[in-house]
Amino acid sequence: MVYYITTLLVYAGVDAIACLGLSQQFGVGGVTNFGFIIFQAAGAYVAGALSLPSDHVDGGFQSYIFGWHLPFPIPWIGATVVGGLLAIPFALIVGKRLRGDFAAIGLLVTAVMFNLLVTNYVPLFNGAAGLSLVPSPLQGSFNPQSTGYQWGYGIIAILVAFATYLFVTRITESPYGRSLRAMRDNDTVADSLGKNVRSLRTSSLIIGGAIAGLSGGVLVGFINLWDPQAWGYAETVVLFAAVIIGGLGNHRGAMLGAVLVPVAFEEATRYIPPVSGNPNLIPALQWVAIGLLILVFLWFRPQGILPERRRKLATRFASEPGTEPGALQSPPSDFAAPVTSPSSVGVIETEVENETIGAGAADGDADTAPATTDVILECRDLVREFDGVRAVDGVSMAFKRGCLTGIIGPNGAGKSTVLAMLAGTLPSTSGEILFRGEDVTRLPAFRRARMGLVRTFQLASEFKRLTVLENLLAAIPDQQGDTFLGALRGRRRWGAQERELIDSAQAMLEQFGLLGLADLYAGDLSGGQRRLVEIMRALMAQPEVLLLDEPMAGVHPRLAHDIGMQLVRLCQEGTTIVMVEHELSIMDEFCDPVYVLAEGRVLAQGAMAALRAKEEVVEAYLVG
Amino acid sequence: MSVFIASIGFGLVTAAVLALASVGFTLQFAVTNVLNLAYGGVMIVAAYAAYALNERGVNIWISAPAAVLIGAVLSVLLNNLIYTPFGRRGTTPIAMVIVALGMTLILEFGTQALAGPTNVSYIMSQGATVKLGSIELTVVQLVIIGLSIVVMILVHGLIRYTRLGKAMRATAANRNLARNCGIRTDRVITVTWLISGALCGLAGLTFAMNSGTFGATSTDIFLVLILAAVFLGGPGQPYGAMLGALVIGLATEVSASIIVSDYKDVAAFVILLAMLTIRPTGLLGARA
Repeated sequence: MVYYITTLLVYAGVDAIACLGLSQQFGVGGVTNFGFIIFQAAGAYVAGALSLPSDHVDGGFQSYIFGWHLPFPIPWIGATVVGGLLAIPFALIVGKRLRGDFAAIGLLVTAVMFNLLVTNYVPLFNGAAGLSLVPSPLQGSFNPQSTGYQWGYGIIAILVAFATYLFVTRITESPYGRSLRAMRDNDTVADSLGKNVRSLRTSSLIIGGAIAGLSGGVLVGFINLWDPQAWGYAETVVLFAAVIIGGLGNHRGAMLGAVLVPVAFEEATRYIPPVSGNPNLIPALQWVAIGLLILVFLWFRPQGILPERRRKLATRFASEPGTEPGALQSPPSDFAAPVTSPSSVGVIETEVENETIGAGAADGDADTAPATTDVILECRDLVREFDGVRAVDGVSMAFKRGCLTGIIGPNGAGKSTVLAMLAGTLPSTSGEILFRGEDVTRLPAFRRARMGLVRTFQLASEFKRLTVLENLLAAIPDQQGDTFLGALRGRRRWGAQERELIDSAQAMLEQFGLLGLADLYAGDLSGGQRRLVEIMRALMAQPEVLLLDEPMAGVHPRLAHDIGMQLVRLCQEGTTIVMVEHELSIMDEFCDPVYVLAEGRVLAQGAMAALRAKEEVVEAYLVG
Repeated sequence: MSVFIASIGFGLVTAAVLALASVGFTLQFAVTNVLNLAYGGVMIVAAYAAYALNERGVNIWISAPAAVLIGAVLSVLLNNLIYTPFGRRGTTPIAMVIVALGMTLILEFGTQALAGPTNVSYIMSQGATVKLGSIELTVVQLVIIGLSIVVMILVHGLIRYTRLGKAMRATAANRNLARNCGIRTDRVITVTWLISGALCGLAGLTFAMNSGTFGATSTDIFLVLILAAVFLGGPGQPYGAMLGALVIGLATEVSASIIVSDYKDVAAFVILLAMLTIRPTGLLGARA
């Protein structure tokens, strides 16, 4: 009986560790690694083979690599390290831009094949028979069969699980964790805001792999054997089921799921007496039950028992008196720049919103632009083909610093495609792009974003399961807690800066009149509100050049006008804006110069008033 | 050398079974955009359905329609009761993979709970051995190859020359557009799953015949071969699946004769991973 309880305790610890690894990787990072069980298996094999003596010692009845007879805790450390290292080749598969379910299948099949290879290649880890007689940790000093040792092992397994919980929580609740969650919600947008998605994915895989490896190491020290049957692909399904049922993105949910699914269904039922005549009935029904559990939960409660918790940063910081009370009282029209910005966007003007700027015609705006009219962004002979169709066919444009340039054209003219190529979210077929005189044609979007070239998207692209405030915070560059090491150093490292960033984000929200929504999930807002969030988020990224793809679509005309005013102000402060828009009246009011695209080519350019007079422009619009 | 040529014979038999399975799988993906990972589970349930009759003394060839029927009915139920409702809820592709894996567990281990864990075999004669040079195949193996060729020709005729085939291609290309053009897409999808399910049942039957003994989880590795064949030809491409089945069938058996038979499925795995990372739309698919 004691043995039964301690065994369950160890399994609870081990499964909780594994589920926390998966929760970090899948729930927070959105990386779907259906080969997860391989990492636990690798940890168990390595810990076993490191702690076993040379394979000649036991009369050579089993063969394996290593056999170094290393003392505790080196095998556990080895298991963790190998789990992490093994993740690196996996990053190649997951790092590709592949349909999620295709990548999942690639990894699932990889797990099946790893199992096949380890089963058939005996010299590695003794093939199908697996490793046995794996020494328990410290078995020279204690008797592993004693009740005390059993209890001790169970408690240590639980403690390791708790330490793992603290570790993953520290990462998840940091700005780095926020970047991971942003990537999970929309990787293209995260990329366009300067997040190195490939590096974030790789680190998710490595962290999850190391944790899974550790769980294998802890397990093998207790059960003293490990064979290919212990890690079939179905075990991965069990862990995924546990994390989903517990609550995706919630580490406590992951631990709860670990106790409910693998422990309660697989281990606790292991000692139900077999049904006479059909000894395999109970195990088979267990699997059926797990399958049903997955379906029922995904249908009735896809968010899990303990759903991901909403992080109410605005409420939390508002309730603390004495923290920068002035920040919220700044004038409504003030674009407060985040404090960390290396190149703060010029002077912050406290000028009250002035209707006369907008009242001026297009030529009036040109006069108010700063004197520096050098070209900051340029593209030459830009081409993009889709399946042989030339969507963009040799477009050359130059954008001057401090100007609000418009791009118009009929549907299918290639406006959004040009914008995407300028930002780097879509590779160009040929042609070159120069930003601040540097050739950026081959640079990925996140590098261009870090240089100050930031875009927004035509379709809703908010990070759905981040709050509005978090959406804004995620875009801010150079955060102290936005690296793995920074996150590990904890709040002491980044807490003070985080508070300042929250203040500046709240100032931005105040200005757009959305402060009341700061703590709502961005995915729950109305269409117009989401567009505002996107514009604010792009502004938080401190762009030198801001590329806007139909920012006014779905926004109330009155609000659209206000946004236009803000954009004009930004340009006066030195930001360059390129705006794709359908609404000609907006172009009339705010943009100069304006490029007209039709059928992938530049049809005309100049001031809007002049363009209206040109016959071919009017025709392209009416005919197109 | 003769071992090599003999392996081509076995490769053709594997390819014949694989073609039945992969064409069914790829048709399901074409019209509903779901990777039905429970396909192997349906195959094995169908194989057991024929076994249930066979065990009671019915000749296996007379029991065969039971496998086809069960495969067809089960596939339609799977789509209409599981995948379509989940899809309508906006379940993500990843969650759909998990749903499919959950269904696999239910089908395979449900079968195991009913039929027991030990492997079974059909009571049947493999027939005389026919020699064609170094290639030696049994009559049953030749029948499987012949059956597969006939079915492939029928599938070709269905897709190319019938109204239903045209409707299926239209639905696969763009379901909303097809519906707006007056095609009853729901019915087309159901019929497609019925046909592909029949192929799945036939594949399960021939798989069980060809492998001699089989158990509830025997198709787990075979599913890897199916996926490799489907992705080689391009998911959703029936002709691609036929080509893929031929290549994968030969590649596994021939590599088994050259290297070690323990690792024969690794060839399929390598091809699958290469296709997924380099060209996920397949050899016959559109460019990415």
